[in-house]
Amino acid sequence: MKIVTISGVQGSGKTTLIRTLISLLAAQGKRSGVIVNEAGEESYSPDFLETYGLKITQIWGG
Amino acid sequence: MATSLVASIKDYRRNIQPDFLFIEPSEMVVTSEMRKVAAMGRRDVSYDSGPFITLMDGPAFPTLWQERQPLLLGHLEGADLVAVSKSDLMDAGEIEKINHTLNDHCRDIIQLSVHSGLGLEEVMKAIVTSD
Repeated sequence: MKIVTISGVQGSGKTTLIRTLISLLAAQGKRSGVIVNEAGEESYSPDFLETYGLKITQIWGG
Repeated sequence: MATSLVASIKDYRRNIQPDFLFIEPSEMVVTSEMRKVAAMGRRDVSYDSGPFITLMDGPAFPTLWQERQPLLLGHLEGADLVAVSKSDLMDAGEIEKINHTLNDHCRDIIQLSVHSGLGLEEVMKAIVTSD
């Protein structure tokens, strides 16, 4: 397992980039997980989670 | 936050074992703090750490740099890769100004646009090869 951290201010495109990377890695047969420390979990739709067999963990406080 | 994050990392490593675990920290968490958290978890379980990627919101950068520079510097310091996001929404002159400013604070800067695909190859390369 390798940890990849995507930092930036809110609205900088972190979730959008992560979603894209997950799909690109899935095309290579790689599985991903996501830990979100910001109010962004809803950005990962149920369809997206199901498609990529993805688990999202939400952590509050930053 | 650090304790919860480390506990979650361990849980993924022990019970789910994905190839890649993406962490999207709160905007108030700076890169040096994330490095400490990643190192903390490695005392107890084994995993690879990196890269630490920082996104700079390209179109909003001038305002953000003026109003929140200490926070942005915290994101920049220690980053393995800095990506100027939404680069497709800026012209060459605006991009050059941002690069000029960022060059004083970090080495590896790329232009990124998830919309157009610009820079994704570099990001993927950093993810797959770095440790």
